[in-house]
Order: sequence, then C-alpha cells, then structure tokens
Amino acid sequence: MPGEYLWDRGGKPDPEVERLEHVLGRLRSDPREAPWIERPARIRLFPARAWLPVAAAAAIVVAAGIWLAGRRPLPGWEVASLAGAPRVGANPLTGQGVLAVGQWLETDGESRARITVGSIGEVEVEPSTQLRLVEARQSNHRLALKRGAIRAFISAPPRLFFVETPSAVAVDLGCAYTLRVDEAGTGVLSVSSGWVSFQHGGRESFVPAGASCATRPGTGPGTPYFDDSTEAFRAALDRLDFEGGGGEALAILLAESRRRDVLTFWHLLSRVDPSSRGLVFDRMAALVDVPDGVTREGALRGDPQMLRLWWEDLGLEESGWWREP
Amino acid sequence: MDSLEVRRPAGAATLREGAPAEAALVEAARSGDRQAFGRLYSLYWRMVHGILLARVPPGEADDLAQDVFLSALRRLHTLRDPGAFGGWLAMIARNRRADYYRHAPQTVEASPEIVETLGTSDPPLVEARAALAAIQGLPEVYRETLILRLVEGLTGPEIAARTGLTPGSVRVNLHRGMKLLRARLEEGAHAG
Repeated sequence: MPGEYLWDRGGKPDPEVERLEHVLGRLRSDPREAPWIERPARIRLFPARAWLPVAAAAAIVVAAGIWLAGRRPLPGWEVASLAGAPRVGANPLTGQGVLAVGQWLETDGESRARITVGSIGEVEVEPSTQLRLVEARQSNHRLALKRGAIRAFISAPPRLFFVETPSAVAVDLGCAYTLRVDEAGTGVLSVSSGWVSFQHGGRESFVPAGASCATRPGTGPGTPYFDDSTEAFRAALDRLDFEGGGGEALAILLAESRRRDVLTFWHLLSRVDPSSRGLVFDRMAALVDVPDGVTREGALRGDPQMLRLWWEDLGLEESGWWREP
Repeated sequence: MDSLEVRRPAGAATLREGAPAEAALVEAARSGDRQAFGRLYSLYWRMVHGILLARVPPGEADDLAQDVFLSALRRLHTLRDPGAFGGWLAMIARNRRADYYRHAPQTVEASPEIVETLGTSDPPLVEARAALAAIQGLPEVYRETLILRLVEGLTGPEIAARTGLTPGSVRVNLHRGMKLLRARLEEGAHAG
C-alpha cells in the first residue's frame, strides 16, 4: 500500500514521495555546535573560593545568552568616539556612528573608540589601532584586529565573539580581556575575567583569568602562563615557544614553577619534544596529584583521554566544552 | 508566566520506546546537567527546525532553532511533566515562529513564484525551495507534518513521538496533506 511508505517508509516506495524526500532533503539541517548547551558544571581545583567569581560570571553568561533576540544579520555595530577623531572607513567619526560589516575602524595616536558588540558586550579601541568588522550576526560576532589594542567585555554564551589577529583567533568563552597586536603581527592576549581560547590551525591555548598568551606569525598561539609567574619563567617560556629554546629554557621553567603553573605544563606536555615530555610530566606530578586513569606512559604519548582527565582533575575547567571536537 | 503545563496525549507515550530515557534526560537537564540538555538538543533539533521551516525562510530557521533551545533551557524548570518535553518544545518553536513575523512585519512569506526568482543559480536548490514553498502554501495543519516527514526525514511514528501529537492525527495529516500537495504540484506543472 503506497500510503505505508509515506507513514513509516514501509511497503512499496511511493515514487512521488521519494522524489520529494530527495529534493527537500537539501533543506535539512544538522544540529549546530552549541557550546552553551553542552557546557557541564564546573569542577574543583585551585581553592574553590578563588573561582567563585568566575562561576558566578559563567551563570550570568548563560543567562545573558537567553535574552539574545532575533538572529537576523545585523547591518553593523554602533561605534562611538571616546577621544580624538577615529575614522570609520574614509570618514572621521564624531559622536556616534555605525561600523558596517566589512568596514575598517582606525584610531590614530590620539583617538579612542567604543564599539557596541550587538547585544552581548563592548569593545574599547585603544589609540593607534586598526580593525575591521567581519561578521555581525548574533551567532557570529567577529572582528579582525590588524594592529593596536582592544579591550573586550563580553557577556554571552561561549563562542559567539571572535577576534582574528594575523596569527591567531581569540575565541571568547564569556570574559573580559585585552588583546594587543603590533605591526609585525605579534600579539598578546591577557584575560581579566572568564576564559578565552586562542587558536590557530590545530593549535589551541586555553587562557583563564589572570593569565596571558602570546602569539606570533608562523607559529600561532604560544603557551598560556599566569601573569604572576616569575619574570624568568615568562622569558624562558617565550624562548621555548618562539625562539627554538630547548633544554635550557625548559630547565628554567621547571625550576621556576609553582603549583599554579601546571596550566603551562599541561599545554607543554603535548607540545615539547617527546624526549622532554618526561621532565614536564615529572614536574607536574610533583606539583599536583596524578589522577586515577592517567599513567606516565600514556601522558607522554599524548593520550587525549588521559590529558583530558588530568585537565579536569586540575580543576581549571572541564575541557569538553571549550576544546574543538 | 511562571509555569507551563503540557498535557501528553493519551497513548503517545506508549509508542515511544525512548520516552523513559528522554524523560530522564529532561530531569537531568533540569538539575543543571548541560550535557543532558545537549542530548535533547540533538534529539529534537530536526523537529524544531521543521516546525520553524513550516513558515520561515530556510535561511532563518537555523538561527531561530537555536533561539528556541535557548528559550527552552531558560524555561525548563516550568515544565511539570518531563514526558511532555517534545510537545512543550514544539509549542515554544511555534511561538518563536509566530514572533518572527510579529517582529518583522515587513517580511512577506514567499510564494512559489517569488521563490523561483530569488537569488540562487543552483537548480536543485531552486527546486527544493519551490517544493517547500508549495508546502508552505498548504493549510497550516498539514505543513508541519509534511515538512517533518519530507524535509527532516522523520517517519510518522517519530513525528508523533517527538511532537506529542497522536499517531492517528499525524497519519491523517500526512495523507491529506500529501494529497493536497500532489494536486498543487500538478497544477504548478500544468501552469508552467
């Protein structure tokens, strides 16, 4: 009976229904990535009290996403001059205006501006900065920072706000941060609250509040570090990430590290030369407990499940919701 | 509105092999388990997308579907019967669909004729949009069911299980809707 095929695809196929299934199937849509849905509850690590503000911010972030209204493309974002005369495209900005998709905003040495990022936050644009609005959809707020500095304050579910730089993309996970890029395309991301993922190609650095991460053309994001680490630690990390510093730089990192610096070592565990991973593992194991399910051998070969387990045990954040699949 | 109650149609739950598991997912999601909500998101995405597609342009349905799930996440605590999640979510999707036109009065639903003139040079996509427009031109009672079946690829029993409609209603809507659709397409072919 032809009707059965329409009901449950049983019986003899109805050619007209089959044709329509084929034609209309093109309009089908797979579920989009929705990290605001899959984000699990936070877990412990460093003194829980220290993370309470971040947990509260995360709750606000999720709530903020609720009031995201229609998702039709926006023509642009409001921009206001804070000092001097920034330029939007070829025109000087006095007072308020609109930065349209595709347009450049440029500040000189005397001018500053503030961009309203849809309904999810603000970006302050520092002097001597050049940036472009790439996307202004509520599911994709995207700027390209060519040079200069911006301060972003975002209250939204993760992965709605992106800033492209010449060597990495900052992916907002609900946060406030400063991003600086110089003429050579070298950049530094510093997070003041929440979390930011700094990505390029297959390389991803996860930067929590109180931490920073450098990026350079040709390499991409370096290894994140807490801002209160020692100067020697940061200098050694810079050499290791970008100047081919090997054993000497790693030795300084190991010697200068504190418990909080497991953030750095967790990233290094899969980045340093395989012959050096044992040193990183041993230092981590001296600073924090090695969780059940993680072995030295597995960690050294970069077993993803073990690295994830250890990350979760560090209590910085469960990694599933922010790491790429 | 502080609370919403959606009645489950008699007999609908018994046809849903996965219903207890889904109810457990709803309970877990209500207690803050985002991964459980993520499972529901995957399970119900097609239903929500299809309900929206019954009236809104294809290019808007994805964004609106995300809105629907965000709204559901916010209001999940108001759902009294976890087993009625599908019908409750379908209602949110229909309301969001109505809001779309309420807040965009300048937007006009596309007729099949308009659709064919709108910007794509991809013949299969033009054909798909024309077929969709033909469905969107049917009486409302048939649109959703046909789109869930022909666009989203759900079977009749799956549509009943997801939406909370009775299998009998879904079957009637499918058959009557398909009869009307055939007639419309035939008229269109003769007119063309």
